[in-house]
Amino acid sequence: MVKLAEYPRTATFAWSHDRIPQIVTGTASGTIDADFSNESVLELWSLLATEPKKPIASLSTDAKFNDLDWSIDNKIIAGGLENGTLEFFKLNNNKTKIESIGKFDQTHKSAVNTVKFNPKQSNVLISGDNNGEILIWDTTKAVNHGSVVKDYTPLKPGTAMTSIEEIHSLAWNQSLAHVFASAGSSSFASIWDLKAKKEVIHLSYTSPVTGLKPQLSVVEWHPTNSTKLVTATGSDTEPAIIVWDLRNANTPLNTLVNGHSKGILSLDWCNQDEDLLLSSGRDNTVVLWNPTTGEQLTQYPPHGNWLFKTKFAPQAPDIFATASFDSKVEIQTLQNIVNELDQEQNVTKQQESETEFWNNVSHEESNEKPIVKKLQAPNWYENKSPAATWAFGGKLVTISEDGKSVNITKPIVPGLEQNIALNE
Amino acid sequence: MVSITNAHNELIYDAVLDYYGKRLATCSSDKTIKIFEVDGESYKLVETLEGHEGPVWRVDWAHPKFGTILASCSYDGKVIIWKEENGRWSQIATHAVHSASVNSVKWAPHEYGVVLLCASSDGKVSIVEFKENGISTPTVIDAHAIGVNSASWAPATIQEETVLSTNNADATSSTTGGNKSVKELRRFVTGGADNLVKVWNYDETAKTYVIEATLQGHSDWVRDVAWSPSVLLRSYIASVSQDKTCIIWTQADSKDPWKKTLLQEEKFPDVLWRASWSLSGNILALSGGDNKVTLWKENLEGSWEPAGEVEQ
Repeated sequence: MVKLAEYPRTATFAWSHDRIPQIVTGTASGTIDADFSNESVLELWSLLATEPKKPIASLSTDAKFNDLDWSIDNKIIAGGLENGTLEFFKLNNNKTKIESIGKFDQTHKSAVNTVKFNPKQSNVLISGDNNGEILIWDTTKAVNHGSVVKDYTPLKPGTAMTSIEEIHSLAWNQSLAHVFASAGSSSFASIWDLKAKKEVIHLSYTSPVTGLKPQLSVVEWHPTNSTKLVTATGSDTEPAIIVWDLRNANTPLNTLVNGHSKGILSLDWCNQDEDLLLSSGRDNTVVLWNPTTGEQLTQYPPHGNWLFKTKFAPQAPDIFATASFDSKVEIQTLQNIVNELDQEQNVTKQQESETEFWNNVSHEESNEKPIVKKLQAPNWYENKSPAATWAFGGKLVTISEDGKSVNITKPIVPGLEQNIALNE
Repeated sequence: MVSITNAHNELIYDAVLDYYGKRLATCSSDKTIKIFEVDGESYKLVETLEGHEGPVWRVDWAHPKFGTILASCSYDGKVIIWKEENGRWSQIATHAVHSASVNSVKWAPHEYGVVLLCASSDGKVSIVEFKENGISTPTVIDAHAIGVNSASWAPATIQEETVLSTNNADATSSTTGGNKSVKELRRFVTGGADNLVKVWNYDETAKTYVIEATLQGHSDWVRDVAWSPSVLLRSYIASVSQDKTCIIWTQADSKDPWKKTLLQEEKFPDVLWRASWSLSGNILALSGGDNKVTLWKENLEGSWEPAGEVEQ
């Protein structure tokens, strides 16, 4: 299935938390469409739509988006806008319309760069802006009877260790609902504890090659381990993904290098399999890693421009979406193996005449395949049961609890003893 | 009865006995398949088959009338057909039409020939017939968006139709000369990551498999589907899911709608991964993430009751 969908938009996006996910896209800031339009639109897409090129719903907004996120309970979509507005949206009951619940246009004093809902408490949201301000929102208080409460004031996370510059990335700890991390234009990533009301740890990475401390632009937590996280450098000279265990915050646990040739803009640690991490960046590529072993698993074919956001569908992690500045939001599968049918296509191509080749080449969908460096099956594929199968003669074959032994038994089924005896 | 300890160094995903109960095939995350000869309470490892590049999910033995043939499928997107001749095992074919993990392989009822059904995470199922001179062109159909987890053949049935009384499209494909036509009804069932179960049948005119029914009932990934091999008064399909339920789908006649019965109202303690029907007597074995195998049978009232638990 390769590429499941491609939306011709330069847009940021957010996945819904469904097994058959929906996705919303919002016109990305800092871009101008081919028709020089300055409009911004939030659109809803379905992977199962009969007309995949057409959004199910769309809504115009005052400004373009820097980020979008969908609450874990699927009830609210938050958008961070380039004009400093934080806007809340929801879908109608049959998921065919997007409605604005309302917006806070005075709260942040600069562009809202990133918004993130808490994975444990679906009503809690953090937002970070271009002036380094971080705000904590409680949607049960900020949103009432389906619209925003005008006099609501979000909380501040507390005291910073040093002055915080532009915030580009925020991430909630996956197990501790009161801990989050921030990263941006400085060489520091910060860990905040809302119970302690302050920044508790400061991470910085010294390059072993140059001795410099590169900018740490992205941060992302381990899906289950509360002390582990990854940060990525935005540096074009030394792109690296650094794995940390906060119990020893001075030295990185692991450094993932040689995957990207330019600065990294996005990370996603798969919430269903801790051995899978996606990264993308200014070198126009997506890389799948095993962050535990540090190995590169797959290099996806390059795009025409920077890939500024890459995310697994949280409840369908066989697929992921990428947003790029070449007017594409693309949804593809983790696997796209070269097969015999592709080879047949190649043979057909070789038999084309020169004219046919030039006629076809312009409007052909490229089917460039990812480079698999190491084949690693995601853990949601593995059978985790005794896998019982019946055989003739009333025999049943099962796998033992440790998964390494096989038993063949002849279970006695009440009322069917005679039948089994007949089979002997 | 027999316990084969440490058959593989890594996790075993599937273990299947052949028709005579003499050979056991196991497959593992170590990318290999092992063949054991089983005799009474003793067993012997006879071969380790290497060829897959990823974990091997499932294996299936072909009917013995075609020889000693085994099919295996892997995360590497390939299906390999292995054959033993004079004690030597070799790969006789590779079926590589999928672009993602192949999650299940099942040989068709032997009446159809050497025909294999494969289900893949690329959203497709493929049906391929192996002939003496090599592989025939596979049929590849889009089955489930976001991936197919399992597929299972219906037992071979011959359906008699009275042409004059059934004045429908099927009559055109019937043989001429009498008022009765004998029609082979080739069907299979698929379960997918779109939470759906789908029933397919072969359309003579279209020369491909077409959808007969889309069965909705699960609220999460369908992990396995199993069509009962017993030719009974009704067709039985069991589907098990990540949603911790098992649904029994029954149909009295191939034109009737499918009827849905939850095996039990309350959810199982963990994800249900596998369903297997006994070859006679219609006993259903379910394998769960809690490492339990439970057995089920239908009572006279048409509801399902436990028929024991298998001691591990």
